[in-house]
Amino acid sequence: MNARSFAGLAAGLMAACGTGAAACVPDLPGGGRKLESARYTLMYRALPEKIPMGRHFSLELAVCASAGAPLPESVSVDARMPEHRHGMNYRASVTREAGGRYRADGLMFHMPGRWELVFDLRAAGRTDRMTHSELIE
Amino acid sequence: MIRRLLHIVLIAAAALPWWSRAHDGGVLDFTADELRRIQQHGPWPQAWSADPSNRVSGKPAAIDFGAQLFFEPRVSGSGTLACGSCHVPERDWSDGLARGVGMQTLDRNTPNLVNVRYHRWYGWDGAADSLWAQSIRPILNAKELASTPQRVADLVRKDAELACHYARAFDRTAAVPDDEALLVDVGKALAAFQETIVAARTRFDEFRDALARGDRAGAARYSIPAQRGLRIFIGKGNCSTCHTGPRFTNGEFHDTGIPYFAGTARVDPGRYEGIRQLRESRFNLLGRYNDDPARTTAVATRHVDLGHRNFGEFKVPSLRNAALTGPYMHNGHFGTLREVVRYYSEIDVDRLHADGEQILKPFTLSARETDDLIVFLESLTDFRTDWRRSKGGEPTCR
Repeated sequence: MNARSFAGLAAGLMAACGTGAAACVPDLPGGGRKLESARYTLMYRALPEKIPMGRHFSLELAVCASAGAPLPESVSVDARMPEHRHGMNYRASVTREAGGRYRADGLMFHMPGRWELVFDLRAAGRTDRMTHSELIE
Repeated sequence: MIRRLLHIVLIAAAALPWWSRAHDGGVLDFTADELRRIQQHGPWPQAWSADPSNRVSGKPAAIDFGAQLFFEPRVSGSGTLACGSCHVPERDWSDGLARGVGMQTLDRNTPNLVNVRYHRWYGWDGAADSLWAQSIRPILNAKELASTPQRVADLVRKDAELACHYARAFDRTAAVPDDEALLVDVGKALAAFQETIVAARTRFDEFRDALARGDRAGAARYSIPAQRGLRIFIGKGNCSTCHTGPRFTNGEFHDTGIPYFAGTARVDPGRYEGIRQLRESRFNLLGRYNDDPARTTAVATRHVDLGHRNFGEFKVPSLRNAALTGPYMHNGHFGTLREVVRYYSEIDVDRLHADGEQILKPFTLSARETDDLIVFLESLTDFRTDWRRSKGGEPTCR
């Protein structure tokens, strides 16, 4: 087995596992924060890059499905402050763009503190939820 | 006589070191995190920019026209009330009453107009998303000025002085056939005027900026009680969680447990009803009167969410000029800053919504701490009101 075929076998095994090492690579030029679920890998980047307190911002997202997983039928983005037990005062809208990319608009963190971004990717009757905390000052 | 003079000199000499300490009393040992939080409340004033949703924002002729309209009682249905009847310049653009009085006594306190250009939402319930739309609301509200689009439009068309101001502001004759379009232009001129009402710098701003440039002597001019009060504000009191940034407000809505009964058999739904009215309004930023073709100004309106938790929420007021803006809270529930501070210091969490703000907890201030927090709040006030009514109301357009 030469090096190239070993790499191909390894890549095939990784894809079959579905998570972790098998995760696909979302196509988000410039990169961003990477999150993984059982079926998907998501990368996001805020616009502006430093999330402002008390001002609306957007997120650029890229999503890819692990081998064998269906493409997401819907992607939604929300956020909450677990310690304060409330969410945003705004409902983000998500638009699908080309190449597995999405854009979420209308988010706003109206208080300083820890916010948890929540990404729900729905397909085939199941939802994969990915979360990540952002500290807003 | 000489003995008496000597006595005075000795007393003065003895008092000098004390006076020096009081005048140049030093700076508290703020931590790096506290210093960072203090900096977030400036700089002041904020950069001013024209409102893209209002094509006459910042235009001098529109500001003059707006000033004229602001004090014009013929705008009202009765011909006796003007915007300036409740938003009195000498009362920090409010009225000093617990609840406003138009054609009837209202359910809410009259908000002051200082720094109103910087708001995202207008009114205690945020039912308007622009200053010009907000300026129309009291004109048409039956409990406030109780006027109609036709009455306002006819006034502007037929009064030579107002028609002249209109033409200068909008570069077209006042013979606009559409009453509602003319009313919206009146709102936009009123907004252009109100945008000019901005608070001057305060003792807090001097302190904050002195810290920023490492000027310890300059910072030490800010009294020690005010500094201690500031430390409570950004720390133990958690006040700066909602009263954020240079304007000391996040511009959003919270339920702080203030009773929202309006009379004996009614409740004031606050933000819940505000969002409903906003969405129904023909004057919101998603509508045809927004002069911003890209609708970049409508992001908040497009995305604002309505939920049960909005019931009983009211807008977080700015604390700039706090010493001048009482009575306080959405219904003028408290007459003094001391009452407000005591309320939050000893807040009864059982009165809050089950899904209300979880950071509101009693923080139990001592008598000295209460005094300190009040001294700090007073230091956010610009007492030098330089606006004079003579700036508006004079026939100047021929």
